[in-house]
Amino acid sequence: MLKKSIWFTILTVSLLGLILFSIGFYQAINVTIASSPQSSTNSPLPQTPGESTKLPSKRVNSFQVLILGDSIAKGTGDEKGKGFSGYLPESFKNDTSKEILVNNAGIDGLESLGLLEQVQNRSLDKTITESDLILISIGGNDIKSLLSLNDLAKEDAFNTRQDSYLNTLRETLKILRTNSPNSLIIFLGLYNPYEKANSIENTRLLNTWNYNTQQLVEEDGKGIFIPTYDLLKFNLARYIARDGLHPNSAGYQALSNRISKSVETIIAGS
Amino acid sequence: MQQTTVLELTNLRKTIKGKPIVKGVNLTLYPSQIFGFLGPNGAGKTTTIRMIVGLIKPTEGSVTICGYSVATDFIKALSNVGCIIESPDMYKYLTGMENLLQFAAMDKQISRQRIKDVVDMVGLQHRVNDKVSTYSLGMRQRLGIAQAIMARPKLLILDEPTNGLDPAGITEFRNLVRKLAYEEGMTVFVSSHLLLEIEQMCDVVSIIKQGTVIKTANVHEIVHNNRIEWQLNDPEKAIALLKEHWNITAIQLKKNTISADVNEHPLAKINELFIHAGIALTYCSTKQNTLEDLFLDLTEGDEIV
Amino acid sequence: MKLFNLIENEVIKMISKKRLLFVLAILIVLISVFAYGQNRTLERTKAQLAQRMGITATDDWRKLADQQLIEMKNRLDSPYMDEKRKSSLQVRKEQLQYDLDNNINPLEQSAAKFTTKFMEQSIFLFLPLLIIMLAADMVSGESTSGTIKLLLVRNVPRWKILLSKYLTLIILEVLVVCLAFVLSAIISGFFFGFGGWLAPVATGFKVLAGKLDSSSVFNVPQWQYSLMVYSLAFFVAIVVGSISLMISILVKSTAASIGIIMSTLVAGNFISYFLSDWKITRYMFMVNLRLTDYLAGSFQPVAGMNMLFSITVLLGWTIASLIVSFVYFTKQDILV
Repeated sequence: MLKKSIWFTILTVSLLGLILFSIGFYQAINVTIASSPQSSTNSPLPQTPGESTKLPSKRVNSFQVLILGDSIAKGTGDEKGKGFSGYLPESFKNDTSKEILVNNAGIDGLESLGLLEQVQNRSLDKTITESDLILISIGGNDIKSLLSLNDLAKEDAFNTRQDSYLNTLRETLKILRTNSPNSLIIFLGLYNPYEKANSIENTRLLNTWNYNTQQLVEEDGKGIFIPTYDLLKFNLARYIARDGLHPNSAGYQALSNRISKSVETIIAGS
Repeated sequence: MQQTTVLELTNLRKTIKGKPIVKGVNLTLYPSQIFGFLGPNGAGKTTTIRMIVGLIKPTEGSVTICGYSVATDFIKALSNVGCIIESPDMYKYLTGMENLLQFAAMDKQISRQRIKDVVDMVGLQHRVNDKVSTYSLGMRQRLGIAQAIMARPKLLILDEPTNGLDPAGITEFRNLVRKLAYEEGMTVFVSSHLLLEIEQMCDVVSIIKQGTVIKTANVHEIVHNNRIEWQLNDPEKAIALLKEHWNITAIQLKKNTISADVNEHPLAKINELFIHAGIALTYCSTKQNTLEDLFLDLTEGDEIV
Repeated sequence: MKLFNLIENEVIKMISKKRLLFVLAILIVLISVFAYGQNRTLERTKAQLAQRMGITATDDWRKLADQQLIEMKNRLDSPYMDEKRKSSLQVRKEQLQYDLDNNINPLEQSAAKFTTKFMEQSIFLFLPLLIIMLAADMVSGESTSGTIKLLLVRNVPRWKILLSKYLTLIILEVLVVCLAFVLSAIISGFFFGFGGWLAPVATGFKVLAGKLDSSSVFNVPQWQYSLMVYSLAFFVAIVVGSISLMISILVKSTAASIGIIMSTLVAGNFISYFLSDWKITRYMFMVNLRLTDYLAGSFQPVAGMNMLFSITVLLGWTIASLIVSFVYFTKQDILV
């Protein structure tokens, strides 16, 4: 009978489907609440966790670099996936025979307050202590939204934002210096990636920001402020990634080279 | 007699939305009985039937089928019942046979052969593989009956079963019911408005009015008491003769007419006696009591509740 | 066991009623229309970009993706953007960036992608509609046509009959979801090619305090992702089916049941947008139907909701519906 055979087909298909869907359902739940990848068919990202739990203990023959800050610190925009983590060791190679180890704690979208909280939260303490060099890129997200405001609102908003940023940064540097009295602190200046937003007014504000940051960094005995504005001003096409915001691979490489040029003697001497 | 009680209704009551529909029905049925349930519209017939088969829960009282309570032993109780309630609504998108197979699958003891036999019994052999949507009312009725008797139930409940059947069909149906009751020992419970049918089919009748049974009687007794009317020239003599010879009480209706309840049997002898006694007999006729008389008598002047 | 026979009866009734065929037809027509539409949109986007950017080789997906990324960024910087939608956009922007970083072409269409996407879009309205069409008729159809009388006057307890209908419904739900999968894969295969099942898809997104947390994101092959999506769809089908069954038992009219449930589903979309501040909103079943969004990391406008929460809420609704259905069905007086 036709109907009877249809019924049996339906029954079989349904039972098979039921089994399949139970498996899939279980997996779906796992994927959204588990904190680590499940099956071996998954390939984990080439992403370093925000706060490393396992750190190589400081060896005499290694040069430890800690990168802190926002997406630029993290290396976003590099189509080869290297960023500072990849290019700094290459740039420093010529200056020291030691093995260069990089810890990257960069977080997308991080602002100065977030960075302060990050270093206040004791988990990075050991890394900080063992670092020979600390590279910081922060402030871009603090200032970003200001540039698109109209002129009347800008001045006041800018001043307020800058004041709180500087205070926060001062605190942050204090903590870093306390934990690591001898490391070299390198602070990256801000550049303007927006071709459209390069009015005189904006440039003035950006310069003010960078200038005040540099003053602050100089208060630290072993800190240096490395500008990026001039390197990128006429090179946006060459050094900026397709998202129009972050450096691309060539850009990171250029910046790494500039950094190494500035501190090569110190690294060689360490 | 207790063990062979097929249906027992005890103080069955039902109130719907505050209105009492069935107000205490008591009934006992035995095997091989054909029982008729009569009443005007709205008397509570269908409600009672629905309570018997568990479609409605009684407000009070109990239903016991073959010793099993419908309320507590539903499965065992219903195993002994086959029924049609109002119109037998079948799955229109299935064929007659598919419908029967569905119901058969719900009850393990029905074999393919049995289904075929039942189909033959109700006369649907030629149309049973057509979709029910193509059936006439009469065919659907037959299918309904088939579905009801498939499992050889001890109690068969039929609500308006001859609805839509032509006269030949009605006669066939009557014979079928008689066969089921007397040959297979089924108890058949028929609810109908067709008084003639009940009269011709049933052994016992209950008349229900406004939720209460007002009379239960053997159809036999009601119907076979014939009333005879004679038109003759000497009423008093005739009355005396009837009393003397057959102990029959006759009454004088009009100047020359008397009437008495007499069985058909002695009528010829009575007439012979009258003539021998010199009474001039002009006219003698029977006037049968029918159920309808009784029915109308008892339910006279009632509005539908 | 008798339950097996009862289920067989119900399935045969369903097959004979032609409703199943109707559902099948709707699926085929809609999938074809969507696949065709997708194809045309894709062609059009490529043509537009070629025109605008003067790039002839528009099959270079990276260029296309970058363009989209720039547009998203501009929208985010606009001061007129609604806060709530900003987060969703931000989330999608992050994903696109992620795709670029890991060389997953977000624009390339394939049978696998379409199949997954189709169910992700259907899970909260179209799929429920199909299920409701089957479920709403199971009990109320028999009430309306009167066949329920003969069904219940048998030596089978009422709860068993309802159970057989429910299990039949589950069987049909599996069937419908499977059919949706097979038909999507086949029909879209004609448009986009039958491959794409091994392509990596990002998942493992978590929602933390209203922000997307991609710290434990990882890739799964498309077929696995699709399986998860369709399994969630099946779960949603069960939930919607149970609720429909309950409504149809209470309302006793197929048309009215369908109307009621469709209205609540449509209302759900409005509610989750307009009333997202109400604490009660998140406990309504219709706002929790988009389970696949959790897999894909799309943002939930109502805070505090995540996969486990939604599944628990839906499970609660299912169990409650079943309890109401069974109690009501076994106790009610049948007066039709």
